[in-house]
Amino acid sequence: MNVIKKEDTGLVIGIPKALFYFQHNLLWESFFKNLGCRVILSEDTNIEIMNNGIKLCGNENCLPIKIFHGHVHYLADKADIIFIPRYMSLNKNEYTCPQFCGIPDIAPLNIGKDIRVIEVRLHLDKAVNITVDSLKDIAFHLNIDIKEVATAFIKALDTHNASIKKDEKAIHGSSSSEEGYSHNIVVLGHPYMIYDRYLSMNLIKKLNDRKIRVLTSKNLDYNTKRENAFPFQDKVFWEIGLDNLGSCFAYTKNKSISGMIYLTPFACGLDSLIIEFIERRIKKESTMPFLKLTVDEHSGEAGFDTRLEAFLDMIS
Amino acid sequence: MKLTFPHMGNMYISVKVLLDTIGIDYVISPECNKKTLAYGSPHSPESICLPFKTILGDMLYGIQNGADTVLFGGGCGQCRLGYYGDLQRVIINDLGYDVNFVFLELGEMSFKDMIDKLKPLTKGKSMFTIVKSIILAIKTVFFTEALYDFSNYTRCREKQNGKTDIIMGIFHKKLRDTRGYSSIKRLIKKTKAELKKVELKKDFIPLKVALVGEIYTLLEPFANLEAVKKLGNLGVEVHNHISVKFWVVEHFLKKLSPIRLKNKPRLAAREFIKVDDVGGHGIETIADTIGAKGKFDGVIQIYPLTCMPEIIAQATFSEIQKRYDLPIMTLIVDEMTGEAGYQTRLEAFVDMLERRKQLQEMDLVNAKSGMSELS
Ligand code: SF4
Ligand code: SF4
Repeated sequence: MNVIKKEDTGLVIGIPKALFYFQHNLLWESFFKNLGCRVILSEDTNIEIMNNGIKLCGNENCLPIKIFHGHVHYLADKADIIFIPRYMSLNKNEYTCPQFCGIPDIAPLNIGKDIRVIEVRLHLDKAVNITVDSLKDIAFHLNIDIKEVATAFIKALDTHNASIKKDEKAIHGSSSSEEGYSHNIVVLGHPYMIYDRYLSMNLIKKLNDRKIRVLTSKNLDYNTKRENAFPFQDKVFWEIGLDNLGSCFAYTKNKSISGMIYLTPFACGLDSLIIEFIERRIKKESTMPFLKLTVDEHSGEAGFDTRLEAFLDMIS
Repeated sequence: MKLTFPHMGNMYISVKVLLDTIGIDYVISPECNKKTLAYGSPHSPESICLPFKTILGDMLYGIQNGADTVLFGGGCGQCRLGYYGDLQRVIINDLGYDVNFVFLELGEMSFKDMIDKLKPLTKGKSMFTIVKSIILAIKTVFFTEALYDFSNYTRCREKQNGKTDIIMGIFHKKLRDTRGYSSIKRLIKKTKAELKKVELKKDFIPLKVALVGEIYTLLEPFANLEAVKKLGNLGVEVHNHISVKFWVVEHFLKKLSPIRLKNKPRLAAREFIKVDDVGGHGIETIADTIGAKGKFDGVIQIYPLTCMPEIIAQATFSEIQKRYDLPIMTLIVDEMTGEAGYQTRLEAFVDMLERRKQLQEMDLVNAKSGMSELS
């Protein structure tokens, strides 16, 4: 086994708790810890972070991008370097939202402060070298040997993969009568929407409190999603499309599911297409109750709750 | 078989030549207008970008007027356009139409792939005819572009306002019933001759503005609320970097070339964005804006609401304005864009450019007289 030198590099790396964080937090946190850096996270999204983000970037942007700016701003004078990975594609033919390709450059421009950003690039549709090159950049900037950086990265990947396996198993095989749950509901949407408690208005907890078990795309394995990602077996609708279309159509076959909720930020370019597919197909081929909940910066929690209640009343 | 295809600016002129020469029957919707949108919009997702709606409108018009096959060349980088076709197919099927779709993914395809994909359309035609049609169509792209460029030249300089628009209006009307390469070429030649007769103001140096932004919105006059015409009539010479010609060269001609040509101007965008692609033509927008320095008095970016690549590009503008001292204005269009407010913004921008130019000229004069005093 490789032993990674654990001496403190003295550098504080800031990781914004937004966007990619909700999918790959373990990967990146352990990567920098393996390198001997100190990692600080921004706070959970709150009203201050949101308002700062809204102030900092153009009104045309979607809510998650605005909020991301708020998180980077929060870290700006607390960390030496801010880590913003650049996700271009996460697998063969699985591209990301264009916003993800630009964000490491755009965030500092919008914030205007002199912030140091480092990135790891993932463009797995094209070539792994792109990632390797970006790791070399990190090695250079942090003044650490590239071999060490590579080892730290691989080790972090293992940590991440192990946790994915655990998430899948978390629900598999259990039926809805256990643990006092009365219903199963699927929550779809970008991870940074559904797992961000502020943005999601605590949706998952609200459901759990009502004795509803929540299933998400995390509870399905990759192949199931890929096979069900109708109708795009070759070129799926982005990486997030694979996740949501795949999960949606895999779960519609599952009789123990009582309904689906798709949480979407206002004006998300990708969701506009994905949700259209889901709604059209569900209407045609199943009786699954489906609720689209749109969140924007002006959404009140009361209105949100009313819509949710109405939906839950309908299915129970 | 009867084909239909959606519009993208003046591209249909060349596609007409292509299909006429191969001998494929087709029907196209009238130039994109309010009705096109009314056709497409009710069946489109709410917050999808504008091109989706008008393109769907074109397809539906074609189908309702007898087309049984839809040809569509999408696929620009990683943006939504590449995924348009799949959803449009589902929507059209849901409406109960049973038609064939031929989608050309121009971003990824090789020339051979393209010929293969087109096979069902070209059944029974000789390779010679196909190659000839392609060549004639490409030629048409170039002289059509030249005509439009020339009309931009005369429009901002004409003595009597509206002359150019009248000539171009007649051109468009006649074009509808003109078929075949030589007839179209003749019509374009004639129109150009007409434009040459337009009386121009003497010694008039117009303001120059570069248009940048999302390709469909730039090319489709309806989508950009006739920005080119409006600016021209305000006495501004307009240059559109992202033209049909550009598109054909980038997505088509470069495929034929064995060497991968580097898109040099694109590299300029590296100053702000460290990747080559953010979907759509976001990188071109940044590069062309930087490139406008010294050649243009100002830049106008136009894009449809929620267009992600252009939102990214827009974020670099405040820095570009600072570093390059270049006025930039962004116009976002959607179904709701009002004519009046739009015109006002264009006028205000042009006024500002004019004042700036005057000031610069005065500075120059002052500097010169200062110098002569010194000597
Ligand atoms: S996927 Fe949607 S929400 Fe996410 S960054 Fe892109 S536009 Fe915004
Ligand atoms: S580039 Fe803009 S207009 Fe084109 S598909 Fe993407 S979001 Fe839509």
